[in-house]
Amino acid sequence: MDFDFSEEQKMLVQSLERSLAKSYDFETFRAQYNDGITHAPEVWNMLAELGVMAMPLPEAVGGFDGNHVDVMVVCTELGRRLVTEPYVSNVVLAAYVLETCGEASLVEGIATGETRYAVGLYEPQQRHNPLAINTTATKDGDAYVLNGHKAVVLGADTAGQLIVSADLDGASLFLLPADAEGVTLRKYPLLDGRGAADIILEGAKATLLGTAGAAADIIEAAVDRGAAALCADSIGAVEEVKALTGEYLRTRTQFGRPIGSFQVLSHRMVDLLVEYEQMKSVAMEAAVEARSDDVRARKLAVSAAKVKVGNASRKFGQESIQMHGGIGMTEEYALGAYVKRMLVNEMLFGDVDYHLDRFANT
Amino acid sequence: MDFSLSAKQLEFRDSVRAFLADKLPDDVREVTKAKSHLSKEQYKRWHKILGDKGWSTPLWPLKHGGTGWSAVEYAIFDEECHAHGAPRVLPFSVSMLGPVLIAFGNDDLKERFLPGIQDGSDWWAQGFSEPGAGSDLASLKMTAIRDGDHYIVNGQKTWTTLGQHADWIFCLVRTDPNAPKKQMGISFILIRMDAPGVEVRPIITLDGAHEVNEVWFTDVKVPAGDLVGEENKGWDYAKFLLQNERIGIAGVGVSKNEINALRRIATAEIKNGKPLLEDPAFKMKLAEIEIELRALDITNKRMLVETERGTDPGPVSSMLKIRGSEVAQRIYELKMEASGLYALPFQPNAGQEGWNDELVGTMDTSRSAPVYLNTRKISIFGGSNEIQRTIISKMVLGL
Repeated sequence: MDFDFSEEQKMLVQSLERSLAKSYDFETFRAQYNDGITHAPEVWNMLAELGVMAMPLPEAVGGFDGNHVDVMVVCTELGRRLVTEPYVSNVVLAAYVLETCGEASLVEGIATGETRYAVGLYEPQQRHNPLAINTTATKDGDAYVLNGHKAVVLGADTAGQLIVSADLDGASLFLLPADAEGVTLRKYPLLDGRGAADIILEGAKATLLGTAGAAADIIEAAVDRGAAALCADSIGAVEEVKALTGEYLRTRTQFGRPIGSFQVLSHRMVDLLVEYEQMKSVAMEAAVEARSDDVRARKLAVSAAKVKVGNASRKFGQESIQMHGGIGMTEEYALGAYVKRMLVNEMLFGDVDYHLDRFANT
Repeated sequence: MDFSLSAKQLEFRDSVRAFLADKLPDDVREVTKAKSHLSKEQYKRWHKILGDKGWSTPLWPLKHGGTGWSAVEYAIFDEECHAHGAPRVLPFSVSMLGPVLIAFGNDDLKERFLPGIQDGSDWWAQGFSEPGAGSDLASLKMTAIRDGDHYIVNGQKTWTTLGQHADWIFCLVRTDPNAPKKQMGISFILIRMDAPGVEVRPIITLDGAHEVNEVWFTDVKVPAGDLVGEENKGWDYAKFLLQNERIGIAGVGVSKNEINALRRIATAEIKNGKPLLEDPAFKMKLAEIEIELRALDITNKRMLVETERGTDPGPVSSMLKIRGSEVAQRIYELKMEASGLYALPFQPNAGQEGWNDELVGTMDTSRSAPVYLNTRKISIFGGSNEIQRTIISKMVLGL
């Protein structure tokens, strides 16, 4: 048993930390957020130059042959620094889908950061089930024509290429340019400043990825990888919330003493600390199992993490705002940004109810 | 990062399994699996079997009869014991007194008492709590006044677990009532339970069990040589003793086994013509606690690996105690809920050796409510969860 990050992983974190500390502080995030900017080329290019895109990708496509624990260490830092770049959409979801569907050559563009993809799997009124697909594909010569609606697709507001699921003798995956005819993108920032879009497909021409009707397992595996990555993202966020709230309890004075000296607050903070260790444990397990060939083990580990991290981070957010009082409600104080970050992580790639149900039935 | 057991650890696990399959007496296993009460003889017999194997005091230093197991190996042992229905060896002698004697006792005390702890021939009780000293343990009042070669002891201890079986009791007593701080006048002393002036009175708990006692001391003469370490240093020894309990405090082994028992009940109980285990509402409750236990299991293992490495994980034992007790209590609660109406017939002695009544319901359902009630204690004893929170808030959070 070994619960440590490797030396390489620790070095990666250090260089990422250093670079972000230099160029991307909370005020940078806040300025971007208030201007509705979800993707900044200089931040994206910096991530590519640091090698964090290439790190978890296979050597054959220009990567460093890393694993999902590499993804975990990167995403933890991205969450900690509130980085809104579409890292997970590309390095985690798109890279896996393209590679698995025999399009490894396209992954090279992800490793270098040159091409940005978004992966649209969810639809309106289907809750969190990625296999409930109403979008249709029909064959038209060498191409396929897509009609349907993909909901809240992470990174689709700034992607050049879209990967979407559609029904063609079962779940299938397709690739098409974001500016293709018949594609309408309704772009928006999410609560936490990351970008997304609804994708409306009306007779849009696309290329089939892999085998028609055989994509269900790939979709589920992609979602699990994304879910594990977002759990790691929430660990980074919650570590900042923990630090902010602890510091506030130590320094804020009322009734002539630090408010943390009141047991009614200090014991609640301890409960959050216990929750933190628990959520970190399952997030680590999800990272280790996210790429497992044992599908049942993967599903159990990822669902357990999504449930525990989701519930605990929600509680962390609520309790931290309460213990801060008024200042916790303001936009200028970082706490709120983390609360929103964790909320978005909680709801994407299956919410707590979805994963609790899947855990119970796997 | 790697969550799997090494080849050496798997081999160790197999050796534990083989030992348990070979040596665990059937009657002891039956009572343990029923979550009923072992007799004194059953406790002692199992302790002796472990002692003969050299496994009764696994965490002691090698030269005093430890096994040299790593923290992870001990956790594997603990988990396998629970899975096989082996009872836990009571902590009072092995985990509490033994390490104190090894660290602070003189050679005479070690020679007299360590062998009897290892083979279980001496039954030890713990005398810490008093009626007026629970969470505020240092306010204890029982006195030991030096009189020549002896101390004269007067006072009362309470919540003395299985004190009715004990040959000896280790007590915190006040030897200097005038010390400037209440923690400073306390000593750690060993008292024979058959000494004149010692009286044990049972306390029956709400599950109907006689597990705890009051112990009264009236002018009890204790040889001065039975005081451990230095006079008035007892509080330091007590703190050492309580910190020593880290490994195993999360109760992961027992909780995993109780989840299996819960599944067993929910398979046998029928709702709407189908096993309760297939009921959507029940399934969600089960999944929630399974996820919580899964997280606890990993957190506990992370702590064990840290311990093996020699880094002190600090007050993480407080954290494991809080969450471990909460998880266990939730499982016992669900076992009772799952048992339905047959949680209600009250047969407090069911499953004990010599109990011959007709069982109402099954052993699982019959024991579910008494065990639920009994285990409300686990968030109270050994420093209540509120005391643990205060320790963490001071030591980790600096609040």
